[in-house]
Amino acid sequence: MADQTFPIGGTLDLTPPRVARKTFLEWMHEWVTTVDHKRIGLLYIWFSIIFLLVGGAEALALRIQLATPDSHFLSPDTYNRLFTMHGTTMVFLMGMPFLFGFANYIVPLQIGARDMAFPRLNAFSFWLTAFGGAMLYYSFIGGSGLYGVGNAPDVTWWAYAPLTSRAFSPGHGVDYWALSLIVTGIGTLGGAINIIATVLSMRCKGMTLLRMPLFAWLMLVVSGLLLITITPLTAAQVMLTIDRYLGGHFFDTQAGGSAVVWMHFFWIFGHPEVYVLVFPAFAIANEVIPVFSRKPIFGYPAMVAASVGIAFISLGVWAHHMFTVGMTSVDNTFFVLSTELVGVPTGIKIFNWLATMWGGKIRFKVPMLFLTAFLFQFLIAGLTGIILSIAPFDWQLHNSYFVIAHFHYMLVGSIIFAIFGGFYYWYPKVTGRMMSEKLGKWHFWLMLIGFHVTFDTMHFVGLMGMPRSIYNYDASRGWAHLNMIVSLGGAVQGIAVLIFAVNLIWSYYKGKEAGNDPWDAWTLEWSTSSPPPVYNYAVEPEVRSRRPLWDLKHPEDPDWSYE
Amino acid sequence: MSEEHKSASHIETIQLPSPTAWPIIMAFGVTLGVLGLVTNLGVTALGVVLVLCGAVGWFRQVLPHEAHEGVPVVVEEIAIETERPHVEQVVVEEHHREHFPLETFPVLSGIKGGIAGGIAMIVPALIYGYLSHGSIWWPVNLLGGAGVANWRNPSIADITQFHWEWLFIACVIQAVVSILVGLLYGAMLPMLPRHPIILGGILAPVLWTGVIHAFLNTVNPFLDQNIAWGWFLVSQVTFGLVAGWVVSRQGRKRTPQSLPFILRMGIEAPGLEHDQDHEEDHKA
Repeated sequence: MADQTFPIGGTLDLTPPRVARKTFLEWMHEWVTTVDHKRIGLLYIWFSIIFLLVGGAEALALRIQLATPDSHFLSPDTYNRLFTMHGTTMVFLMGMPFLFGFANYIVPLQIGARDMAFPRLNAFSFWLTAFGGAMLYYSFIGGSGLYGVGNAPDVTWWAYAPLTSRAFSPGHGVDYWALSLIVTGIGTLGGAINIIATVLSMRCKGMTLLRMPLFAWLMLVVSGLLLITITPLTAAQVMLTIDRYLGGHFFDTQAGGSAVVWMHFFWIFGHPEVYVLVFPAFAIANEVIPVFSRKPIFGYPAMVAASVGIAFISLGVWAHHMFTVGMTSVDNTFFVLSTELVGVPTGIKIFNWLATMWGGKIRFKVPMLFLTAFLFQFLIAGLTGIILSIAPFDWQLHNSYFVIAHFHYMLVGSIIFAIFGGFYYWYPKVTGRMMSEKLGKWHFWLMLIGFHVTFDTMHFVGLMGMPRSIYNYDASRGWAHLNMIVSLGGAVQGIAVLIFAVNLIWSYYKGKEAGNDPWDAWTLEWSTSSPPPVYNYAVEPEVRSRRPLWDLKHPEDPDWSYE
Repeated sequence: MSEEHKSASHIETIQLPSPTAWPIIMAFGVTLGVLGLVTNLGVTALGVVLVLCGAVGWFRQVLPHEAHEGVPVVVEEIAIETERPHVEQVVVEEHHREHFPLETFPVLSGIKGGIAGGIAMIVPALIYGYLSHGSIWWPVNLLGGAGVANWRNPSIADITQFHWEWLFIACVIQAVVSILVGLLYGAMLPMLPRHPIILGGILAPVLWTGVIHAFLNTVNPFLDQNIAWGWFLVSQVTFGLVAGWVVSRQGRKRTPQSLPFILRMGIEAPGLEHDQDHEEDHKA
């Protein structure tokens, strides 16, 4: 079979490269006016990378401040602004745009479509996100703060009332925060609607929902989740703006409002948001783990059901962020149980990924290294999540660095690791060149070491009682050595991310030619050229199984004979 | 996104949505519209103008017909090939899933067993009461009295006499506990499918008698002092044996793990179950 090829007429196209070089203005005009899903996907991803570096730099500044006791590297005000902006940036300007970037680029290719269902809405959604992000950072210079300098928001990324009221947050920092999230929220809704419409109505011939790649399934589910969860956040931001500008009292307890209502509004968005961010990681794992294990995904229907199940359950767990508020024991019990229930479908996923790897011929290329680490780190993040879901335990550890360690295990150890794996996996498709394996391994190992030095240690600092969000601490508390270790780990991660950035640029110019299908993969995007032509496929593909390229490569043993 | 064939030589033009600046103009307008709230209302006014311009321009892009541009395509035949042409199936033992019980007892049989056992265990309890204190009401009053809030240090005479309210409470407790234990028994049956009488009828009663004996002194010292633990064990084993016997007469059913996923999802798949049954009959 090695000498055989299986042509599929018209599925693959090679467009002759354009000869004429464009001027900078022409190049810029093409990107600004584009409605092509691939270009918009890349815009989202570049936007996310920029904010990953910005948010990462903010994190490093925070860690320098906390590395030693009684430090004054940052002023208290600057510290508060930086950790507010770090959280807001990483969730809204890095994590979610990554989601839409990957979804935009990959989903239409995977389902055999030429573009998204609403190409112009797609562009509109991206630019709203971009301008919303720019507006948030404009607050540093345009906030007209107390002392005549800019004041970025300094109320944490969850912005509890009454800290956000005019009495405690004069100036415009909070306004920039609320308004920019309203703008990015509209963009998010547009993106989610587009993904749902694309997946439901633009699949190629033969691609039933249960033959659709799990990546596309996850993007469909996460988009549905976004439609539900972004709306309460946007509503809350509008109410906050009314409170601050029109004398409303939604969150003003003294005037009959309720600060706790803000918590409910925020966390009914905020906890499903964790799943919004982690679903793309699941999506990437669903593609990378089977390809590098050389086996089909184990339990495809169960994986679909688990994804939908997680989305549903995640809508009923938000108040586990509020155990220390003083809810009734019935409320506490409900949210303990509902939170622990998430562990069931999540466990199904972990077991299925392990079962996919079991007995496979695993190739530990860089994408698989990142996804293997993701698997174990996600497990630990889930276990500490179960610990924190137990209300009495949460009463002890809430607002401590244990919580910070837990959710960074989720956001960095799971989501960022999977996103890095996704980069190494799809970079050849996007650019036509392979990323350097050597630099990739440096990136992986430094990231892994840095991550564990930072966040494993952070658990212990939290158990020792260090509260989150504090600006400074006294040397007598005994946290100094561990905090220094945490900060050193952060620096190692910073170096790893810089290596990644270098690899991205170096490989674009010097990377090995990738070919169309460098990983010997099975989904449709690998059947078109790298990078794909603007129209993706000259002729609409037709599929008969979940792994159409496997069927073409192995006609003697096609998947459709089993499904 | 229609296709338009230009010639017979596989060259065609694909119609794709035209690039347009209106989405970015409109997005910028929306952003300025809200930014004006914290800067200057003139900024908001500019934003509104941009939004209106963007909306009109956008409508003109899609109405009455969506604007397209033709992208020329050169179609070539490209080979899809693999570096690893040989397919190797994961080797799995023929009966690798047989550690799952293929058949077990239905949960309902546990409830039936619980009811039967609950009735049967009354007999040794009454015998014990009659032989030890000359009254069959002794065990009834102990059980019923434990459920009455105002029952404090009764005399021996009190416990040996008939009290209709304690009888009523004892019956309720006996019925509820028997059904619940039977339900638990039924739920556990998939874990002990081969010897339900030995495991559920003897081993389990011994274990829970030991557990109750261990903590009852803390919970209710008076009740603990008045229970004859040997007879208590006889009564519990009677419950277990009768429950196990009833369960074993109920017949077995296939465990869901051994069914195809489509059947476990409750989807009707004509022929699927029948084929499997037929295969098993054939093997037998």
